[in-house]
Amino acid sequence: MTPSPTQALATAARAVAASKIYGSGDTEVRALDAIDVAFEQGRFTAIMGPSGSGKSTLMHCMAGLDNVTSGQVIIGETDLTTLSEKDLTLLRRDNVGFVFQAYNLVPTLTAIENITLPMDLAGSKGDEAWVDEVVGATGLADRTKHRPNELSGGQQQRVAVARALAGKPQIIFADEPTGNVDSNTAAEILGFMRSAVDQMGQTIVMVTHDPVAASYADRVVFLVDGKIVDELEDPTPQGIRDHMTQLGA
Amino acid sequence: MFKLALRSLIDKKLRFALTTLVVVIGVMFVVGSFTLTDSLRSTFAGLAQDIAKGADLTVRVDQEFGGDFERATVPEAVAEQVAGVEGVDLARPELAALNVFIVDGDGEPIRPPGPPALGFSFNPGSFFITEGQQPSAPGEFATDTVTAANNDLRVGETYQINGPLDAEPFELVGLFNFGSPDSHTGLGQTMAAFELEEAQRFFGMEDGYQAVGVLASAGAEVSEVQARLEAVLGDEYRVITQEVEAAEQEEDFNQVVDIFNTVLLVFAFIAVFVSAFIINNTFQIIVGQRVREIGLWRAVGATPRQVSRSVITESAIVGALSTVIGIGLGLALALVLRAVLEVIGFPLPPGPLTLQFRTVVLAAVVGLGVTMVSSIAPAMRARRISPVAALSQDFQLGATGLRRRLITGGAVFAAGVVSLAAGMTAGMDTAPTFVLLGVGAVLAFVGMNIVSPVFARPAASALGRPLKAAFGVPGRLGRDNAARNPRRTASTAGALLIGLALMGLAAVVGESIKKTFDNILDNAVEADYFIQSSATGFGPPPGFPARVADEIEALDEIESVMRIQWAFSGLSVEGEPRDIVAADMSLADDHFDGQVSSGDMAAGDPRTALALHSDSAESLGVGVGDTVEATFPDNQTETLTVVAIFEDAAIYGNWLIDGALWDRHFNRNDLAFASARTADLPDAATEAEQASLLERSRAAVNGVIDRYPTVKVENQAEFRQTQQSQLTAIIRVIQVLIGLSFVIALIGIINTLSLSVFERIHEIGLLRSVGMTRKQLRRSIYWEALIVAVFGGLLGVAVGTVFGVATALALPESFVQAVAVPWLDLVVFVVISAVAGLLAAILPAVRAGRMNILDAIAHE
Repeated sequence: MTPSPTQALATAARAVAASKIYGSGDTEVRALDAIDVAFEQGRFTAIMGPSGSGKSTLMHCMAGLDNVTSGQVIIGETDLTTLSEKDLTLLRRDNVGFVFQAYNLVPTLTAIENITLPMDLAGSKGDEAWVDEVVGATGLADRTKHRPNELSGGQQQRVAVARALAGKPQIIFADEPTGNVDSNTAAEILGFMRSAVDQMGQTIVMVTHDPVAASYADRVVFLVDGKIVDELEDPTPQGIRDHMTQLGA
Repeated sequence: MFKLALRSLIDKKLRFALTTLVVVIGVMFVVGSFTLTDSLRSTFAGLAQDIAKGADLTVRVDQEFGGDFERATVPEAVAEQVAGVEGVDLARPELAALNVFIVDGDGEPIRPPGPPALGFSFNPGSFFITEGQQPSAPGEFATDTVTAANNDLRVGETYQINGPLDAEPFELVGLFNFGSPDSHTGLGQTMAAFELEEAQRFFGMEDGYQAVGVLASAGAEVSEVQARLEAVLGDEYRVITQEVEAAEQEEDFNQVVDIFNTVLLVFAFIAVFVSAFIINNTFQIIVGQRVREIGLWRAVGATPRQVSRSVITESAIVGALSTVIGIGLGLALALVLRAVLEVIGFPLPPGPLTLQFRTVVLAAVVGLGVTMVSSIAPAMRARRISPVAALSQDFQLGATGLRRRLITGGAVFAAGVVSLAAGMTAGMDTAPTFVLLGVGAVLAFVGMNIVSPVFARPAASALGRPLKAAFGVPGRLGRDNAARNPRRTASTAGALLIGLALMGLAAVVGESIKKTFDNILDNAVEADYFIQSSATGFGPPPGFPARVADEIEALDEIESVMRIQWAFSGLSVEGEPRDIVAADMSLADDHFDGQVSSGDMAAGDPRTALALHSDSAESLGVGVGDTVEATFPDNQTETLTVVAIFEDAAIYGNWLIDGALWDRHFNRNDLAFASARTADLPDAATEAEQASLLERSRAAVNGVIDRYPTVKVENQAEFRQTQQSQLTAIIRVIQVLIGLSFVIALIGIINTLSLSVFERIHEIGLLRSVGMTRKQLRRSIYWEALIVAVFGGLLGVAVGTVFGVATALALPESFVQAVAVPWLDLVVFVVISAVAGLLAAILPAVRAGRMNILDAIAHE
């Protein structure tokens, strides 16, 4: 084991004392409770925690899909809490990639059109060589003209990951990307994400509740009741399960 | 299930409101038209009684057919005979004439915009003097209080009056109320009343009277007087009681009301028909969206019957609510229409609105019936949803195969076309014809609606191609979404299609009539000047003084003048009344080339000559030289000889007689139209000489016309211009009225787009999360709407053009000879429907833009 690289690497995104509060008074719910967290460039981080721990909220706020109640969220050099709705949209388009649990693709567009969607929305061609490389990496080069309903679940998710990669975003957020597929398909998707980090130098943050999925990451962050309670570097499924048991108990 | 239906309505308030609104418009029109016309009828019944009150009995010639002003007169001797009958206190001769125009102090003729300008002999029984006195000497007249007040006519002043024969100055000696002493019960007509003998002279009706009003002596039984009069006068005359007179007047009024009612009901029908499309569409989509929910009901034990019943219940609630609101708004519409009528010149006496039980029943039939019938097909689809639908991620409701659609829709469409064709060839004016046409139109549209999804996808893709190229992702998505669900696209477009098809049809038929007219002007017109009433507006122009033609004829520069008069039901042959035109037949061929195919218009005795259009000649089976027995509205029968058969009915209609024959059977002396030719110059005349002749003749004709403010003269170019612009104006009015269906279609598009946006919530969330801006999202919805609207527009215009050409071909030759398609108008219609589509997209697009991204993504 090498010493923790955390300090050595630049930060792709971080939250500073970020809180998200729903309701007020007696019905107040603190989904995020003054969280400080940083995600380093070129690493694959998993966020884990029981249902209601705030892991999805954290991801939504980090990705600019939702606003924090207080604190800061910073992607690269940009503080998201200072942006207008339109600038947030443009930031998502140009600097953030997304992979959702399911229905990641626009059904009327072909695979390749889905992959280049953010660039097309921006009206730019993007880096064509890079897009070719990404498409090559998905292993779907011969299926790019197919529509989503002509692809398997695993293939659809690989297209979704490819879309997230295609714009060379500063960071990619994945929300339970394997939540809806069987274990073989999950392995196929996670392997692709792992290689995107290792071979393409991308930064990925993934929310999951599956220890096996989380074990593909370089680092696991554990969340309970809106707070980060633990971290694990170079996790194994068994190690994660042990931590979960401790936390849950 | 009722609870479920109610809940689903409450959850979707906007959709509920829009769907209800669509039905409300249809119901509103039905209720509005019936309420207004029922109210008009009761108002007119009162008016008719007022009018009839002037006499106990009225004596008239018993007329077999024809209009009131064409009836034979009661000779003076007969009037004297009436006065001598026992029990008759007073026999008062009555006279009336059409087209008696008073010219106001500024030299402008007073023209009621719709009702007639009438002249009367002063009748103290129904004319009640309020100021001055009744006219009792030549050169005096009285007028009604309303006409005087509206036009600042003053007792003591002298005004010019244009009568049937000539224009003369008269002194206004009195004002009167018509019908009742307290208030004038006119319907907008202007009334000029003269002393009896003066009226006879001025109207040119010296031979007799139109009627004789009888007042019974005190103590005499009216029915006995009636019996005595009938015995004395014989079969040739009718002796009518006050009640019968009122009933006959009322019937005359009701004929007008019926036409009005029919026109309003046509709009109601269009509105209801378009609504049916939208309701059907809405329920189809709702069922499609709730597939999983319905699957869940089925899984927890709901029977297919309960499922379909809940859909129908939902439609029943919409229908019931629409009926109630529609009745309320219909009453308001009746008030608005009454105000509109008043503004355009038909002031109606105030009276309560009459909401009959029959109207309420009809409203319910339309509101509930149309809604529920339109929801049957979706309800049937809903019951086919299996419980598995609840579990499956992407269960698609089985759509009808395109092939089956093509066959079924094609068959329905073909049936519609056959029915339309049968209706068009069955001859006009008969009820079965209209039923055939109506059923044919409905079937054709329904067939079109079934088939059109087949074209929707390729059409939307093709239309969207340039958008994709030019407008990037939003354009691309707009196109894809329009092509995504062909059924939905097609039925949304279907609502637009109906309005556009009708507008297109009107445009093509109108253009064809215009072209026909143009051809006539180009080929048939030989005369140089056209003299007619200077009144503008709809309907045939009113008549003008015959003296105008005499004066023009007397001019040196003018070689000949042809006088034209005409009458609906002017003569009857083989028991059927025919519309006739009367002209100087010796000049007819020189002024307008009627395309005589055999015989000679100028040949034969003008007092018995008849010229026929080839259609009429054919249907009667007669040729040149044959004789025809013709009865006139004065009950006299003559044997006429066919002297010519012609092909162009534009000027001479189907039945042409000479003015000499007209004069023997008609009391009307005013001219409808006259044409004049300048004297021919020797062949050697130079162009300059011709131009100078035209200039001089125009100046001379103008000199005559200037003395008659109700008359105008036009040369060929001017004549053509006026005729065209009048025709264009009529077509435009019809199109604007049909355009009402646009408003309904607009609501339909809003509804469909809202629903289709709702269906795509997750996808919209996804697009927004990967960086689609609100503006881009809104644009994609605008493009979608644009494609759907243009698709509907093109389809509608295509259908309208085909039907229009077919109609133009089917219409009798005497009406339409050429077929012309107004391409520019059609393009404008498509543009209008595109704009309508964009307007309809605003609300759904703004709502889609405001959607919370996370909620949208979480939505399945």
